[in-house]
Order: sequence, then C-alpha cells, then structure tokens
Amino acid sequence: MINQPVVQEEKLLTRPVGEEKRAFMYGNEVVVWAALAAGTEFLFGYPITPQNEIMHYWSRLAPRYGRGFLQTEDELSAGFAALGGIMTGARCFSATAGPGTVLFQEPLSMAEMMRIPLVLVVQQRGGPSTATVIYSQQEVFLTIFGGNGEGLRVVYSPGSHQEMYDFTIKAFATAWEYRFPTLVLGDGYQAKMREPVTLYDPRKKGIDLKPPFPLVGLKGVPGVDREPAHWRNAFSVEEELFEALKPVIDDFHRAAPSLSEKEEGFPEGAELIIAAHGIVGRSVRAAVRELREKDIPVGFFRPITLRPFPDKDIKNVLSACPRLLVVESAQGQLAKLIRIAVGGELEHALKMYAYFRPGLGITAEEVVQEARAILSGERENEAAMSLF
Amino acid sequence: MTLRNKRIVMGGEGGQGVQAAADILAQAVFEEGKEALYIPNFGIEQRGGVSLAFVQIGGEPIGSPKFKYAHLIVALSGRSLERLQGYMSEESIILYDSSLLAPPQVSDEVIGWQCYDTIAPEAFAERRLTDRRQSFPEIPRKVKYIFGLPASEMAQNKLHPRVANIIILGATARFTEIVQLESIKKALEERLANKIKRDPALKDLNYKALELGWEAAGRMIKIPVSTGKIFKR
Repeated sequence: MINQPVVQEEKLLTRPVGEEKRAFMYGNEVVVWAALAAGTEFLFGYPITPQNEIMHYWSRLAPRYGRGFLQTEDELSAGFAALGGIMTGARCFSATAGPGTVLFQEPLSMAEMMRIPLVLVVQQRGGPSTATVIYSQQEVFLTIFGGNGEGLRVVYSPGSHQEMYDFTIKAFATAWEYRFPTLVLGDGYQAKMREPVTLYDPRKKGIDLKPPFPLVGLKGVPGVDREPAHWRNAFSVEEELFEALKPVIDDFHRAAPSLSEKEEGFPEGAELIIAAHGIVGRSVRAAVRELREKDIPVGFFRPITLRPFPDKDIKNVLSACPRLLVVESAQGQLAKLIRIAVGGELEHALKMYAYFRPGLGITAEEVVQEARAILSGERENEAAMSLF
Repeated sequence: MTLRNKRIVMGGEGGQGVQAAADILAQAVFEEGKEALYIPNFGIEQRGGVSLAFVQIGGEPIGSPKFKYAHLIVALSGRSLERLQGYMSEESIILYDSSLLAPPQVSDEVIGWQCYDTIAPEAFAERRLTDRRQSFPEIPRKVKYIFGLPASEMAQNKLHPRVANIIILGATARFTEIVQLESIKKALEERLANKIKRDPALKDLNYKALELGWEAAGRMIKIPVSTGKIFKR
C-alpha cells in the first residue's frame, strides 16, 4: 500500500514521571509534564501570553530528560518546523494562543492534508485581534474550522488540571493513532491557575502511545524495495484533489464516533439542560449541583471533544428535555455547534437560552441566577438567540 | 460534614507580594490534603497598578477559578481596597493594612529600588505628593467585620519592611480557620528555598513575620472591630 509508514522502534527517553505523584501546579506546567510523560521529543514555539510558561518550563526541563527546544521567529515557522520534525519520526508539539492560533492555521491545514500528527495546545485569550492576554472561549471556531479545508482535526476541551494532563497525553495518542492534527483547547485561566493534579506514567495506565514513525528518509530504494513516500499538499487538477481528499474525509468521519467524548450530570427529570465546555463547565457543574440540592430540576452537558462533536449524546439529552441554556465566554460559538449537532425537528422544538460573555469569566453564582430566571419565566428564548 | 470552601481575594500594589502570599496560602492548604485553587488577576502591566489574587480552599470540589463574592477580603493598600469592593457581601470579613505609613519600597530587578506607588500615574491622583500616608476609601456596603492590622508598621519596626505581606499572610491564614500555621511555614520555606540557601537568616525572619500576623489575628478574632467607618480619617 502506498504511503504506509515504517514503524520505528521506540526511542529510549528518560521517563520523567515514575510513580504516581500528586502535585500543586500551574496549568502551563501541567501541559509540559504531560508532554514529557507522553515521550514528546521536541517543542517548537513562539512566545505569546498566556502560554509563555509552556515554553519556559519546557526549555528548563527538556535538557534534563534529553528533549529539545527551539524558539522560532514566529508561529508559522514553529508550526512548520514541528511538521518537519514529525516527518522525520520525532514526536513534536507546539503551543500558542489568540493571534498565534490564527497564524497556526497554515501548518494545521497542511497537517490535515498530509495526515501529519501535529499536537497543538491553545490557551485561549481575549479576541478579536490582540484584545486581552487574559482569557476567553473565543477560539473554538478557529481551532475547529480555522484552516482552508474541512476541519479535519480533533479538539479536546479540558476543564481542570487533571483533564489538562489526561487530554494532553491523549492528544498525542490520538494524533499518532488517527494521524489528524489534534488540539488541546485550554484558556488563560487554566494556564495561569494553580490546583492539584495527579501525574502518572501513561504506559503504566495502559495508554496506547504509538511510537512515532518517520514519513521521509525511509530505508530502501523507492519503487524497488518500497512504495515511494509521497506526501502531497498540492494538486494539479480538481479531480486529483477530490480523489485524494475524499478518503481523508471518510477516515475522519469513520473515526468520529470513537473519538467524541462528553460529560453529563443530573439528566434525570431535568427541566433545563445547561451546556458549557472547558473551564465554564466547572461553573455549570457547581451551579447545577447547588440547584439540585435545592430540588431544582436542572442538568448539564459538557462536550469534551468539540471536534468531533458528541452529536448523538446531546441529541439524546435534549430529546428528553428540549430546553437548553448555553453558557460560554464567547458570543455563541458553542451554541452554534450545538445547533448544528441537534439539527432537524429537534432544533425547531428546542427552546434555547443564552448566557454569552465573550472574553469574560463566568462564575457559578451567575449560572445559578440565570437558570433561576429562566425557570421562573423571566427570560425570552427568542431574544436570547438573536444575540448571535 | 464536609469542610465548606472559603473564598479569599487579596489585593495590593504590584510588588507588595500579594501573589506570593496567596500562592503560599493555597499551597499550604493543598499540602494538608484539602482542595485549593489559586489564580492571579493578570493583565499586560508588568509592575505597578493594583494586583489581585483569588484563592479558594476547603473540602469541596472547586468550581470557577474566580468568584463574585469573597468570604475574606485582604487589602494591602488603599487603592486595592477600592478595587476589592465589588467582591464584598454581608458575609465578608475585611482585613486591611492599617499602617499610617507610606507603602515600603520594593526592589525591582530591572530598575532597582523604587517605591511602587510612584509607577502608576493614577496613584498620584488622589493624594498630594507630600502626603506619603495611605488613604483608605470608605466601605459603602455592609460587611460582617472589618479588621485593621498595621502590618507595614509592624514589619518596619519589629522585623524588616519586606515582610509586611508575610505578616498579612499569617493573619489571613488564621482567619480562614482552615489551615495550620505549620503548613504555611512549610509552604513558605519551600517557596523561599533558593533565597534561604543564599541567606539562611531569611527563614527565621519570615517565620517571625508569619507568627506575628497569626497571633495578631488571634487577638483580633476575640475582639472584633465590628462594622463602621473606621476608614474615615
């Protein structure tokens, strides 16, 4: 078969995490430990707040564990350098935020077309443009559909340091298993806050981290000993592109059901479902717990993968309770994803309410207040949805 | 019964050591095996301006990193107290540095010794340049208690001007009624490990500052100042 990669023997890297260890860490620090534990060999990066400390910690720890680091001249270069490194058979990654995520779209698109397992950690900051260095959830569409193409990427949205660790490791496993670029979508709060996390060696947990393999410089004479390694991102005619792209799209859709993940809480008898992702999911979880303690029937839904979206799960939840409040630190990016996922008849029956705070943190108190207002009939769902 | 979480917001001028104090507090609670979360309020300014730190500690899982109302509000400067008013509720306890002193000088790696309140231009707006004393705004809302602790004065007269934030940390820790003094000491030592290596006397100095604050808070708990216009001068 053409372009079948040759699996290399696993490289011997010093393992940074031996026994399970509970630590009190910053989110950016957690990302670095996860990447080290996953056997990542190289970080190519360019500084931007609030992900700078990923580069700081990595450059401090990398030499200790025999890993490499290069600060490039910008994000385009960081992305393409990482792609080059990956093609040689090294597990590489990068991290960025805000305007940096915009620049990263070109390498990400190339990774989609050429099936290069690039892992990118995004710590969202306020937008559009330079905006704030602090926090937002405004890079959802950018991470999913930002490239010129079809959004053939996997996007995880963790909501705690533990998940940041788990899903950064998982991102490497996913990227190398499915060979699609895989993103971990954090935010400035998660990057800069400190909370407990349990570090572990993924191999001891039975996590299947496929050894990286080279895509170029393979042994043997091309055409004689093996098929030529031919990785393309340029095509002469339309038909040629379509023929090459169709199987990639099919692969992505075939993989989607096994990739999508979600968290649900208190769906039984809920009269209102509150949906949120990432760190806002914590506010919603806390709010729902508080309301349930007072016998107020609310439930919550949190997509963990924003791409592929857990379509079936949200449909199931909403067919039992077609009243939904979407809470996000963006102007309806998650709400749009939910609408697309739900579709059809259910979408018409759905009463959708919105609590959008682009670039602003959302507390559990606010969610409690908003849910109470909706349940007592103080909110218009039509008016809310015209906001986006 | 689970230990209810406490929410603490601390504020001060950039360079006063608010972030360090908040971070050490959270770390100490974590070391005790409880839940803890610390997040700084960070922007693009590198120094100067008001710096806020948010801490949540206790026995319950922690929701959003920031919050609307705090159980404990700690102000190291007058200007920060103004910024902290939004976090006050009827349940809030306020602890502030009541020293009639100019805030102490802080060392800055880039521009050397300086007085932090000369950096941000707005610091001049409310006071005459000759008046080096702090002015505290009135608290418009009803709160539970207000406690004044002259931490800067205590630091300057008894120890060293640089440990005012550690005195405040000692008092704050006691007010939480969650964490032990020993745990704070341990976390503090860990944090200052490199500095203590260079100057072993720092350990004792910081421990003394902690104890000073802890004991002062103990006395204050017995005699609450209650609410009132104690900031009016």
